[in-house]
Parts: sequence; structure tokens; C-alpha cells
Amino acid sequence: MNNRTAALCAATVLAAAALTGCGSSEDSGASGPVELTYWAWAPGMDKVVALWNEEHPEARVTVKKQAGGDDLVTKTITAARAGEAPDLVQAEYQALPTLVGNDVLADISGEVGDAEKEFAPGVWQQVTLGTDAVYALPQDSGPMMFFYRQDLFEEYGLSVPTTWEEFAEIARAVKKKAPEKDLTTFSSNDAGLFAGLAQQAGARWWTTEGQKWKVAIDDDATRKVAEFWGGLVAEGVVDNQPMYTPAWNKALNTGKQIAWISAVWAPGTLTTAAPDTRGKWAMAPLPQWEKGANVTGSWGGSTTAVTNDSEHKAVAAEFATWLNTDPEALAALVREGGIHPAAKAAQTGDALKEAPEFFSGQTDFYQRAAEIAEGTAPAAWGPNVNVAYSAFKDAFGKAARNRSDFGAALETVHERTVADLEKQGFEVAK
Amino acid sequence: MTRSTSAKSAPRAPRAAGKGHGERRAPYLFLLPAVALFVLFFALPVGYALYLSLRTVEVQGLGLGSGARREVWAGLSNYADALADPELAAGALRVLGYGLIVVPVMLGLALLFALLLDADRVRGRSFARLGIFLPYAVPGVIAALLWGFLYLPDVSPFHFALGELGLPRPDLLDGGPLYGALANIAVWGGTGFNMIVIYTSLRAIPAEVHEAARLDGCSQVQIALRVKIPMVVPSLVLTFFFSVIATLQVFSEPTTLKPLTNTISTTWSPLMKVHRDAFAEGDVHTAAATAVVLAVVTLVLSFGFLKAVGSRARQGESR
Amino acid sequence: MTPTAPALSPAPAPTAPRAPRRTAVPATVALALGALYCLLPVAWVLIAATKSGRELFSTFTFLPGTGLVENLTELSAYREGVYWRWMANSALYAGVGAVLSTAVSALAGYALAVYRFRGRETVFDVLLTGVLMPPVVLAVPQYLLLAEAGLADTHLSVLLPSILSPYGVYLARVYASAAVPRDVVEAGRMDGAGEWRIFGSLALPMMLPGLVTVFLFQFVAIWNNFLLPYIMLGDDEKFPVTLGLFTLLQQGSNTPALYTLVITGALLAVAPLIVLFLVIQRFWSLDLLSGAVKS
Repeated sequence: MNNRTAALCAATVLAAAALTGCGSSEDSGASGPVELTYWAWAPGMDKVVALWNEEHPEARVTVKKQAGGDDLVTKTITAARAGEAPDLVQAEYQALPTLVGNDVLADISGEVGDAEKEFAPGVWQQVTLGTDAVYALPQDSGPMMFFYRQDLFEEYGLSVPTTWEEFAEIARAVKKKAPEKDLTTFSSNDAGLFAGLAQQAGARWWTTEGQKWKVAIDDDATRKVAEFWGGLVAEGVVDNQPMYTPAWNKALNTGKQIAWISAVWAPGTLTTAAPDTRGKWAMAPLPQWEKGANVTGSWGGSTTAVTNDSEHKAVAAEFATWLNTDPEALAALVREGGIHPAAKAAQTGDALKEAPEFFSGQTDFYQRAAEIAEGTAPAAWGPNVNVAYSAFKDAFGKAARNRSDFGAALETVHERTVADLEKQGFEVAK
Repeated sequence: MTRSTSAKSAPRAPRAAGKGHGERRAPYLFLLPAVALFVLFFALPVGYALYLSLRTVEVQGLGLGSGARREVWAGLSNYADALADPELAAGALRVLGYGLIVVPVMLGLALLFALLLDADRVRGRSFARLGIFLPYAVPGVIAALLWGFLYLPDVSPFHFALGELGLPRPDLLDGGPLYGALANIAVWGGTGFNMIVIYTSLRAIPAEVHEAARLDGCSQVQIALRVKIPMVVPSLVLTFFFSVIATLQVFSEPTTLKPLTNTISTTWSPLMKVHRDAFAEGDVHTAAATAVVLAVVTLVLSFGFLKAVGSRARQGESR
Repeated sequence: MTPTAPALSPAPAPTAPRAPRRTAVPATVALALGALYCLLPVAWVLIAATKSGRELFSTFTFLPGTGLVENLTELSAYREGVYWRWMANSALYAGVGAVLSTAVSALAGYALAVYRFRGRETVFDVLLTGVLMPPVVLAVPQYLLLAEAGLADTHLSVLLPSILSPYGVYLARVYASAAVPRDVVEAGRMDGAGEWRIFGSLALPMMLPGLVTVFLFQFVAIWNNFLLPYIMLGDDEKFPVTLGLFTLLQQGSNTPALYTLVITGALLAVAPLIVLFLVIQRFWSLDLLSGAVKS
């Protein structure tokens, strides 16, 4: 027994020593190459970064893969409180004001040179937050589109909707022709989708007036969108179940739902969610509120930002610029990560010449996507998008389940967002 | 052991009538690691949480850039906000409903299975013991995922079976049945653990006690009811105590099922609200205040309960 | 450990030799039903892991699929085998953590059960309050404090806070008071043994079956812990398997959850625990108090 206990103790001590070793080897010395850590969740990012590391032995970047956008914001803010944030983070556009407000992100306007000209003004404005500072470099964008099962649309004799009115008619027609099917679902578990639809209708949820924030989540444009979808859900012609569940995957895979309002990255999702429907989908512009218009919103898309905790901000900013503007890097991002780059040159360049495999029938997929992207409505994010989004999930989740008034739910989201700003001490313009 | 302590400092006395030096010092040394870890990883963080609950963030202007946010003292305003939020009370009510299902069912089953395992002439003991305990090994994230698959109408085999039989198919993730669905996950995951705790103390009952009862002509059921259950009351108290605390802190089951249904809000249980405030909305101060309120309520409930049954709960070592 | 299927044959039950030679049918059936209820979802994981991504949503739930090998290969290939790194990390956290935790619990439980000293009940009550603070609440302050010590995002940041388990201390105390008779301790002192030696060579062997239980509970608790590593770690090379699987589930909007990988990964993550249970059953079959002297 004694021997065994002793052996156990020895093993434990050894293990502890080994662990301490792991811990302390983390900090690199002042000499030698610069070491940068980069928290990101985009698939294949490590392979893109490997290209940089090959050419820049003096500044090694290590990717630490994270779960996803929302988790990363939380973790980054917590890490920054302790002064432990990584040098670089992948951040979604709508998270930038929150991160900037928590003093996580560095102003890199001095380091990025003339990167501005590589991006559309509406995109660039989102990384400056309308100030003179630059808080991140745009990486990818998510112009929204209408995806539908071409074969089933033909089978049911449906035409592709060009306006939301037609969209509603088609939803009703689907119910009539195949009562067990739905055109699509209204999902309350990703507020980004709804935000994009509201942008298309002309909503600008957060704006500034001098030193005050103005919140307009329940403006007329958003209300129009909310009531449109609320009407369809109440009528029972679109489903009310959330997206990204096993049941949703199955509904897409079996053709129980025959269309999806999504963004340019949808092919990647459909490949995994509905593998049996390869080649049966087609993409079209989002239905319009005004016939003949070409306006769309954004859903998703992210940036590369440098944090205040970084000891090598200039090098980090150089990397971020390379990652998002260098043709070779952008081509690798498209190839490895399947993203739709925000840089203008890349959207029409060689990297996006071939249509995604899942949409092999639509050879001009990315050319059309670029045309649609030109009509991207500006986005207006504020310092508590996270609060608005969680309020959205609760209020619209409840309204969708009960098939009740979406207008009231929208009011709840607006009020909670304003109340939160006021509680934090912001001045809110009425 | 309760002999009077002699203050004589006779170092390393081979045997002393009173307590030796080592004997007096030993319990403190033995407790040192536990106490040190407690201070470092419980007391300090709790103190820090208390501190955070009294602070708040003050924003200047648009709240952008360096120095736009400052932490200032907030007095008790975070507590006022936490208590005034109707979602906290609503969440507490939901958890009460959930707990009223989970605790009795789980402990009832655990006790039943433990008694059955301890009964005579039962076959397949080790198989059943392992089988019932196995869910405890399944991580919460995975448990909720797999039950989610079994609940979701479109992929559930139960729905399939009920449909084939032409029976009504309830939506388990909606309204009232949701409580059952959530409680089921907790019962499934927790019964085995409690069963083992109770079973272990059943095994600790000296065999002579059963023998005596059996010679008196008691049946198995009578032995269980009159001899065994009274003797495992301390374990029952213990499992009840921990089950109630776990129920008050219910978090992982509703959180992992949440993406599957519109019925579970981000504030479904009080702890989910704490999590949402701290992690989704970045307001650690309100979260800390809510957490302190929760902890105090738990403390009062559980120690009130322990006090009520205290003498019996500790009878183990007061022999 | 001999897992016997519930049978109705009138063979003598070896564990209760003095009982009449019949199987208690209702009791056996009730236990079998309980085991079935508990094993059904586990069986589901087992079957689902054999399905390819395509079959997962299209074939009947309990129909085995054809994709097991493919799933395993894909899981092993995912990000150059990071899954196995996660498994190794989990084994490290749970193994080392549970050993240390059991040691700490044994010391504390023994002290609380055997000695009479001032503040005994207070220390015990205070240690027990540790279960009252929800882990969600503790995690952020723990992170900030460990970051202060320069330990954030290291293996130690997950290991250290897992060592103290109030529940383990409670169990160890209960076991020690039941299994370590006071006269044995006294006899040890009479023989001139030091307190440490009495604990190490007399009390510890008596407490062993109980400590095995503490080890098991703590091993499982650390293995399944999700929140602590989630807050502490940024580097997925240090993730335990629960957190790794969580990242597979939450791939962000442009790649939905890799369900087949998650399910196969879940099955493999549960497997070591099942093995551990099987091993530990042997210890449980030793009667807890077999070595103890009854008062």
C-alpha cells in the first residue's frame, strides 16, 4: 500500500510538473520572431494562415479555433478584462461596436494604409463605426438571396417571386398544392436573418445624433417586415420552427421545405444539411418591396480585428491587411473556407469563377451574387446588438410559437434595447 | 476521543493519555489542502463576485474607444434591478414546476432501484446496476443532443411508432409536455448516481439486522419498508439535499434543448438568466447580483432543511 | 463482474445463498426495465454512430447504418486528428484531477470524521457551501483570478479548480466515519504510530472502496465538465473532449453542426467511462464495510 501510495504521489507530482511546463512555455522571449495568436472559427483558416507563415518567418501567426461568432465575442471580452486577449480576433460586423465599447479593439487606421479602396463604402463604414478610426478589416460579406428547389418549383408550377407580395402568394400556393409542405420557415433563433431582412426594407436600427444613440428597431421599415412574416406565420403558410436543428436539416433534405431565405454562404450549409438535394437548388435575388428594385440585406460576414492587448499591433494589422486584401490570401480563403470575400476585386476575380459544386446547375452563381451584392443596403449597428439579439430570440420565439402578433414582439425588442442602453448610462435620443 | 486535552507539550510522545502534539495538529494539516483550495477557488471567486455585484459600468458619450467605459460603485442597484426583473420570478416558478417533477421521481426511482438491487433473489444485478448508472457518464451536452433527437417530431422514433399505430403524437418540446421532457433528461441522467449513493449505504447495514427481521417473519417488502429505509435516511437526506440544489441550478438541459424549440427562452431558468446577462449581454454586474441572490436563497433553503433534519443527517459519526 | 441477463431460470442466486432458490420475478423485471430505460438512448448513440450523414436523417432511428468506418476516419482526420488530442486532454484533466481530488477529499474526510477539534462542524459546513455557488457564477471570477496568476489558457487553469469537490469531502467523511473504527486509530496510537502513518497504513486501506467511489464521481464530473474549460481555454489544442464536441456542434452559420462527427465523437467519449465503470465495479463488489469492525 505504501509503495503504491508513494508511486501515485510521484506520478501526480510529475504530472503537475509537466503541466507547469506546458503553462510556462506559452510565453515566448522578447527576441526571435514575433508570435501572434488569432482566434477564429472560419473553417480552413489555419491553412490560409500557413501561407502567411511560409512567407513571413519573422511573424508567426497561430490560429486557435473557436466555436463560433457569439461565443468568441464573450470570450474575447472576458479575456480582455484580464489583459489576455489574443492579438487578432475574427469578429462579426454587428459585434464590432460591442467590442469597441469594451475597449477590446485597437484603432489600426495608422497601420492599414489605403486598404479602404479595396472595399465597398457600405462595408468599410461598418468597420469604422462612422468615426475616423479603423477597428477591423472586412473579411467576408453575406449579401442575402433567395434559394429554392428548382425541381419542386417546376413540379408545382411556381414562379420565382420577385416581390414579397408574390412570395406570400407562392407560400399560399405551396400549402394548397402540397398541404404537408412549407415554402420556408420563420426562424427566431438567428436574429441576423431578421436584421438583414429589415435592412433590405430600409431599417437603420442604431444611429448616432451627436453624443447620443438613437434606436429605431421598431421603425416603419422593420414593422413592415415583422408584420409581413407575422401574417404568414399566423396564416399557417410558412412554418414557425427554428433553423439549424436536426428536424430542419431533415425538412430541407426531404423537400418538406422548398425554399430558404439565406445569404451567399448558403451552399456550404446546404451541402451539410441537405446532402441529398445536390444540384436541385437555384439562387435568385431576394424578393423586393418595390418591383424592379435591387436591394438586399446582409446576414453574417466577419472581420479581422487587432486587440489592444496585442504587443505587436503593427505586425498584426499587417497580417490582417494581407489576409483580407492579398489576392493569394483571398483565393485561399475562398478555397479553404468557402467564404465570399468582402474585397471588391476578389468578388469578380478568378477565385470565384466556378459556381459552388452544390449549385452546379447555376454556372453564373458568383457573377449573379456580385450583381446582387451591389445593392447591399447599409447596416447600422450599435453598442448593444447582443441585447437586442437575445431579446429578439425570446420575443419572436414566443410570438412564432403562438402564431401571435409580431408587431408587439418587435416593440418588446425595441424597449428592452433602449432600456439596456439607458441602464448602461448611454444617452438615448428620443 | 472526547477525553480532556492535556496541554502538556510532550513532542512525539509515543503514547499519551491526552492528545499528543501530533494528534492535535493533525486534523488541521489534513484539512489544509481542502481549505487552501476552498479559499483559492471558491471563497476568493465568491468574494470577487460579491464585489462585482456592487459595481457597475458607466458609459460616456457614444461608448466607443478607450476610456469610454468606467467601472463605478453601484451600491445595491444591481440587486434592485435583479429582483425587479419579472423574468427572475417567472424563471423561479418554472424551475419550481420542473423540480416538483424531477426530485420526487428521480429519488423515488433511485430508492426503488437501490432496494431492488439489495433485495434477495434478484437476477442481473450487475447488469442493471451498470445500465442504470451509465447515463451518469454521458456529458450533459451529449445527453441533451441525443434526447433532442429522440424528441423532435420529425426524427423521433417514438413519434414514428405512435404515428404507425395511429395514436396522437404530442409535441414534447412545447408547452406543458416540455417540463416532462426536460425532467426526463434530468431523471435519466441522475437516477443512477443517487441509486449508487443509497445502495452503498444499504450495503452498510449489518447483515444481522436483516437476519433478525427475517427470523421475525418479515417479508422482503416489510424488511425494505421497516428496516432498510429508516436506516438509509441519512443518504436520502443527502441525495435530496444535492438534488434540490442541482434543480435550483438547472442549466444545461434547457440550454442545450433551447436551439430546438421556440418554447425555451434565454431566461427559462434563473441560472440561464445569469448566463445570458453575463455572457450574451456582457453585463457581469447584474449577473453577479442575480447569482448572489440565488446562492443566498439556496443557502437558506438547504441549511434550513439540513437543520430540520440535522440530528439524523449526522448520526453517522455521533456514535 | 458478470453481467447476467435477467433470466427466469430457477438457478440459485449466488449473492444470496441463504435465500429460497427462486428468482424474484417482479424485482428482476423492474430492474431490467430501469436498465432498458437508461440504455435506450445509449443504444441510440451506438446505432447513430454507424450512420452516414445521409442516413442519419433519412433512415429509421434504430436501424443501423453503413457509415461507421467512414465516420471514424473522418473524425480522426478532422483538423489533423485534433479529436484524439481532446481525448488525451480529457484523460489528463479527469485522471490527474480525480486522483488529486480523491487525495484531498480523503485527507479532509478522514480529519473530519476521526478527530474532534475546534471548528470541525464549521469547517465542514463552510466546505459544503461550495456546492451552493453555481459553477456559472464562479467561472468568470475564477478566470480573472487565474489570469492574474498568469495561468489562463493553460492546463492548470482547468485542473486546479477541479480538485476540491465538496461532495467528495462529504462522501469521504461519511465513509471514513463508517469504515474507520475509532479503536483501530487508538490502537495505532498505542503502538506509537504517528498520525500520518495511522492514516496512510491503517485508515486509507479501510476507506479504499469509498475512495474509489469518490474517484469515480470526480473523474466523471471532470470528464463531463464543460463550463470551466469553456471559460478558461482559448486554444483548442488544450480542449477536453466535451468542449471540442461543442465546437463541432456550433460551427457558426456557414457550416452547420457536423452531427455525424459529433455523434461518433460522443460515443468514443463515453467509451472510456464505461470501461472505468466496469473496472470499478470490482471494487464495489468488495463490501464497503467488509474490513471494518462493527461497533
